Amino acid sequence: MTRKIRNFGMYFFLTVVSLLSVFPLYWMAVAATNKSVDVIRGTLIPGTYLVENFKNLLSLAKVGPAMTNSFKYAIVCTLASLLVCSLAGYGFEIYHDKIKDGVMSIILLAMMVPFAATMIPLFQMFSSAHLLNSTLGFILPSISTPFLIMMFRQSARSFPHDIIEAARIDGLSEIGIFFKMFFPTMRSTYAAAMTITFMNAWNNYLWPKVIMMDENSITMPMLIANLTEGYTTDYGSLMLGVFLCTIPTVIIFFLLQKSFAEGITGAVK
Amino acid sequence: MKRKLLSAVLSVAMMATLLVGCGNSKAPAADAPAGDTAAKQEAAPAGDAEAAPAAEGGNTLTVWCWDPAFNINAMKEAEKVYQKDHPDFTLNVIETPWQDIQTKLTTAATSGQLDTLPDIFLMQDNAFQKNVISYPDAFADLTATGIDFTQFAEAKAAYSVVDGKNYGVPFDNGAVVAAYRTDILEQAGFTVDDFTDITWSEYLEKGKVVLEKTGKPLLSCQAGESDVICMMLQSAGGSFFDAEGNPAMTDNDKLKEVMNVYSELVKAGVLVEVNDWDQYVGTLNNETVAGTINGCWIMASIQSAEDQSGKWAITNMPKLENVDGATNYSNNGGSSWAVTSNCKNLELAADFLGSTFGGSTELYDNIISTGALATYLPAGSSDAYAAPSEFFSGDAVSKKITEFAGKTPSNNTGVYYYEARDAVAVAITNVVAGADIDSELQVAQDTVSFAMGQ
Amino acid sequence: MKEKKKKFTLSQKHNATGWAFLTPAALLIVIMSFVPMVKALILSFKTGVGANMKWAGLYNYARMFQDSVFRQSLFNNFFYLIIQVPIMLVLALVLASMLNNKNLRCEGLFRTMIFLPCATSLVSYAIIFRSLFAVDGFVNTVLIKMGILNTGYNFLGHPWSARIIIIIALVWRWTGYNMVFYLSGLQNIEYSVYEAAKIDGASPFQTFWKITVPLLKPTILLTTIMSTNGTLQLFDESVNLTNGGPANATITMSHYIYNMSFKYVPNFGYSAAMSYLILILVAVLAFVQMKVGDKRD
Repeated sequence: MTRKIRNFGMYFFLTVVSLLSVFPLYWMAVAATNKSVDVIRGTLIPGTYLVENFKNLLSLAKVGPAMTNSFKYAIVCTLASLLVCSLAGYGFEIYHDKIKDGVMSIILLAMMVPFAATMIPLFQMFSSAHLLNSTLGFILPSISTPFLIMMFRQSARSFPHDIIEAARIDGLSEIGIFFKMFFPTMRSTYAAAMTITFMNAWNNYLWPKVIMMDENSITMPMLIANLTEGYTTDYGSLMLGVFLCTIPTVIIFFLLQKSFAEGITGAVK
Repeated sequence: MKRKLLSAVLSVAMMATLLVGCGNSKAPAADAPAGDTAAKQEAAPAGDAEAAPAAEGGNTLTVWCWDPAFNINAMKEAEKVYQKDHPDFTLNVIETPWQDIQTKLTTAATSGQLDTLPDIFLMQDNAFQKNVISYPDAFADLTATGIDFTQFAEAKAAYSVVDGKNYGVPFDNGAVVAAYRTDILEQAGFTVDDFTDITWSEYLEKGKVVLEKTGKPLLSCQAGESDVICMMLQSAGGSFFDAEGNPAMTDNDKLKEVMNVYSELVKAGVLVEVNDWDQYVGTLNNETVAGTINGCWIMASIQSAEDQSGKWAITNMPKLENVDGATNYSNNGGSSWAVTSNCKNLELAADFLGSTFGGSTELYDNIISTGALATYLPAGSSDAYAAPSEFFSGDAVSKKITEFAGKTPSNNTGVYYYEARDAVAVAITNVVAGADIDSELQVAQDTVSFAMGQ
Repeated sequence: MKEKKKKFTLSQKHNATGWAFLTPAALLIVIMSFVPMVKALILSFKTGVGANMKWAGLYNYARMFQDSVFRQSLFNNFFYLIIQVPIMLVLALVLASMLNNKNLRCEGLFRTMIFLPCATSLVSYAIIFRSLFAVDGFVNTVLIKMGILNTGYNFLGHPWSARIIIIIALVWRWTGYNMVFYLSGLQNIEYSVYEAAKIDGASPFQTFWKITVPLLKPTILLTTIMSTNGTLQLFDESVNLTNGGPANATITMSHYIYNMSFKYVPNFGYSAAMSYLILILVAVLAFVQMKVGDKRD
């Protein structure tokens, strides 16, 4: 009996939290189907203006190229970042000693300065290196992040040392252990890291806004910012743009979250 | 099985990325063109925006501005007008929000990378003094380039004059209009003529009547912004600064009177404060207020509620009492074209701007449908400007607004204008909450003085 | 591999491998973060308008103490930190352990829905929160109907209620994000541990405190440091929800630094000095948190 009540309480709580979480997305979807003036008036009922909004959006902004750019930057950045940071996190933890722990603490300092302060020196460097308007320019500052390194370092802590020793006895090289043992075992960590990195790269705004000077290298968040500028905003088209910008992250999460669920119990044989 | 496949795919993908990464670092230039082939086709001589967006002495100019329906459209129309006499001429217009232009300008100028700037960009009038004085190296002096600046409304041209030199070609009009819902006024027994050429105390009295009879305030504005304050202050030729550019918020009769009027309007409920821009536009479209006072560009937002066509009318704003130089005219917003020092062909840029925005009534006739009203005075006398607007009760609003612009006192923005606006916004918020005007203005004065003491 | 062995001892070899693994990341961080940081540090000792800077020693640092807006922003940041971070992390942990329950149905759907807020664009979420808490907004309508209020309360127009709304917005946006880390951390715990606890008759509450929390300690430490860092650098909510108002009552340090660099007459020396104060604060807090939470046992 108490278990039933407890279960009911749990489902109720989760449902309430989920609905609260989803409400703004619902509102956004509804807004994308309404006329601008109705969005301002705060309607909550789906409208019939979706096609018009879509036409307006296409006439106001180059959605196709912006989507392509965003995908290109986000995918390249995510993959490079996962590789570099997981290697480093693994290296810091598995082979840890006093010096490497010290280096880690210093690296952590790097995430503590607001970006507004380092942006101008960084721009100077990138401009002299002719990296403006390029994919490389977009991704370089966000490939290696203290946060991801720390995340992989923390999860490497729960990676059983027996496995490493056994693999070494089997004659596996150190890099082999990383790719064949650590990588598949930590799939849930990779899935989480991938979701977060993709989302950050996808939503990155301040940096591209500084280095992207060319209309053909803009990203989705920049496109949305373009839509909100100006004396009048077409809220219907804006919300459609925002909606399109949100979908990829949601899909990535939905696909990857299966890996959170499978986890280590299935992975270590 | 599935798991192994997934991890194999992931490792291959990661290795591939690494290789791509290496390839990129060896040949960074090879990466950029891949994305902008389209740009190449459209505007071939513009070259790699990465190296220098400015044309190397060719017939192309690169422009940054931000609103496709408004100033981008105007630039493209200007290109067409200019192409009639100069068939080789092309423009490369890059849509860049104002915030981004400001960030890019600051970043480029501070890091000494001025070659990343375009030839021409659009700048908010309020930011003109600040940027030209902070980054004198980034701007080209347009005084002696043959553009006739006397043809523009004086108050408007003054925004882009620093030390007697012209740094900008005026573009859109920010002349203040008072827009009223004639049907609501009628319920309270008024017509729009009762709100023409009036003072703020008359406005307050009539506003109370409207509120009592219809339940609707006359005016709404954004809390925490000082737009209304600035409009009132400029209408009497007042400023936050003295002629030397020092903050002058204490012992400033005009500002004190403005603060008084504002807080009385709020206390009487004739003016309601909302929290953000969307809600402000909402009060207009939702019929929660009977009117508004703002730069004439607000008319585009008003007109988005098509069902209210014919119910609105435009007139001038109320004027202050008890102060010298009070008028019924002011300005809010507006922007001007700046030419950068990175422009390799200053002559071309100046000739283009001078013979379009500073010399073509045809251009202004072509863009009037988008609501882009001229500050170029000869444009106001054309037929297009005399055409009646059905939405605004059949009035020739364009002509009216151009006249307003000619009567507006100029505004001494000063370099620290944004600091002063924010400090006054803090002051008025506290005054409305019950604080004393004099002491709040003293605090505002101290805040701005502090910011100025580098 | 066998050839290498003759020169190095095993531990030397492992040490070298460790360095090889972490060098690419460390090198990138040095170039992309530390070089600009050092440049910013030098800048923080200079003063001047725009690009014309001259040496000023510690002037910018002394200046902060006389700046009332900066003091206000410092207070706001700490207020958000102390109230918001614990609420959010506990909520995220509770949600994660609920969703980790193998018997739960539709857990994928719940997970995705709760994660959604942090994927939602700031533009739409700011508009929604502002309209929800407007004087004639949804929240006021409900409160009036329930008889709690007589007239609409201007939540964003009063200092304390505006700060509380920022906290609500932050919790709403970032709880799902933190939950993701806990979920992935929970996967590294053998499920059999929970089953054993259940057989021993432990209540869910006991399981949570005795098993989940201790085993998730590394992840909890990670999220605490991240959230502390994120809150002290808070920018988006201050700009988009309240624009720092009413009368600077909700402005954050990063928002003020941004204004100082890009809205007002640029004063980069002063901005850089304020940034370094944030750095010191975050570093001290992170150090304390590491001392408390980061032990290998």
